Amino acid sequence: MKRDKKRALYQFLGLLVPFMTLVSPTWLSISGVGPRWAELWLLPWALEEGPAAGLFGGFCLGIVLDGINLDGSTQLPALIFLGYWWGCLGRKRKYSNKSFILGSLIFSGSFLSGLSIWLQNSFQVNGNFFNIWAFYTLLAGSIVSGLIAPLLCTLSLNIFFKGNFSKVNGEHD
Amino acid sequence: MVNIRRKAAFRWWSRKNFWYWFFISTFLLFIRFSKGAFILDAFSTLSRPFWPGTAQREWIVNGINLEQQIRIDLLEKDNQRLREILNLQNSSKENQVSAAVISRRSRDFWQQLELNKGAKDGIQEGDAVLGPGGLLGFIETVTLTTSRVRLLTAPATKLGVWIERSKVHGILTGVGTNRPQLNFLEKTPDAELGDIVSTSPVSTLSPPNLPVGVIQSINHQNLPAPYAFVQLIASPEAIDWVQVQSRNEKR
Repeated sequence: MKRDKKRALYQFLGLLVPFMTLVSPTWLSISGVGPRWAELWLLPWALEEGPAAGLFGGFCLGIVLDGINLDGSTQLPALIFLGYWWGCLGRKRKYSNKSFILGSLIFSGSFLSGLSIWLQNSFQVNGNFFNIWAFYTLLAGSIVSGLIAPLLCTLSLNIFFKGNFSKVNGEHD
Repeated sequence: MVNIRRKAAFRWWSRKNFWYWFFISTFLLFIRFSKGAFILDAFSTLSRPFWPGTAQREWIVNGINLEQQIRIDLLEKDNQRLREILNLQNSSKENQVSAAVISRRSRDFWQQLELNKGAKDGIQEGDAVLGPGGLLGFIETVTLTTSRVRLLTAPATKLGVWIERSKVHGILTGVGTNRPQLNFLEKTPDAELGDIVSTSPVSTLSPPNLPVGVIQSINHQNLPAPYAFVQLIASPEAIDWVQVQSRNEKR
C-alpha cells in the first residue's frame, strides 16, 4: 500500500518536469542550456516500472513538453523510445546504487533526444546541417543532465522506489 | 641768414608733439581701414574669462534635443497618416502592451520567452515583441493570461527586413545562434559592415521600420546570393520587460 502511495506521489512529481523546464534556473545550466528534466524523471520511472509503463511515461512527458515548446520539432518519439529502452534495462538488474551508470544512461538518453531534435531542426534551417550551435547545445544539455543525474536519480530511486526490486527478486540492499 | 629763415619756416618739422600725434592717428587710420584689426584681437584676449561657458552650451543642446523630439513626433504622425492612406501596416505607441518575461529560454533548442499577458490583454498571434533597442520576436501562441514569443534567433524564424541606407531587401532567418542570418535577394547587394537592419516597410506581417540589428559579417562569395550575420540590438538574455505591439487592423 505504501509503495503504491509513493508511486502515485512520483507520478504527481512528474508535473514538476514542465515547470522546471519553464523555470530553467540559470545557476543549473551550461551557458544557458539547462538539464533535460524529462529524462531525469523518466529514468527512475522506467527502470522500476518496466517497458510498458516507461513507454507510456515517455508519451505523456513528450505530449506535455511539445505543448510548452515552440512548434517545429517534437521530443515525443525520442522519449517513447527512451522509456521503452530504460524499461527493458530495468528488468535485468538493479540500478539504485550505480550512480555512474545512471549518469551515463541520462547522458546517452539526453544525447539521443537532442540528436532527434537536431535532425528535425536541420530540415527547417536549410543548407547547414552541421550547425556548430546545435552540436554545442546538444553537448551542453547532455553534460549538465548527466552531471546531476547521479544525485537526482539515486535520490528518487531510494525515496520512491525503495524495496521494489528486492521484493521481486528477493534481494536486499 | 637763409639758414635762420629756413629754421623758422620748418619749425613744426622738428616738433616732438607733432610726430606723436601723427603716429597715433596713422595707427587709428590703420584700424579704421582694416576693420578693427588690433582692437578686436585685444577685445577677444581681454574678454576671454567672460566668454559663454558650458552652461549655455547645455541649454543649447537641450533645446536642439527638444526640437528634434518634436520633429520626430510630427514626422511619426505624418508618416502614420500617409500609411493609413496607403493601407499599410502601422505602428503607433498607443497599441503597445507592456509584459513581463516569466520564463526565458534563449539558448536551448527552443528559443522562446513566456510573457505574463495574454488574450485577455488583447495580444494576438503574430504580434511583434519589442525590447529596449528593437525587435525581439513574434508571438507564436496565446493563452488567456500568457503568451509565447518565438525569438528572432530561433531556427526557421523568418522576417522580411531591409537596409535603410541602400534600400536593399533581405530575409532574416534564425539559425539558433545569437546572430541570425540575413539572406540577400540580390547577387551584389550594397551592404557593408555596420549597416543598420530594420523591418521592411512593405511587409504586411511586421510593423514597419523597427530597428532589428547591425550587420557583423558578410559572405559575398555565397551562391546563389550572399548572406550576412546580424547582431541583434535587443538582447533577449537580459530583458525582463517587453512591449507587445498589437496590430491595428484586427482591433
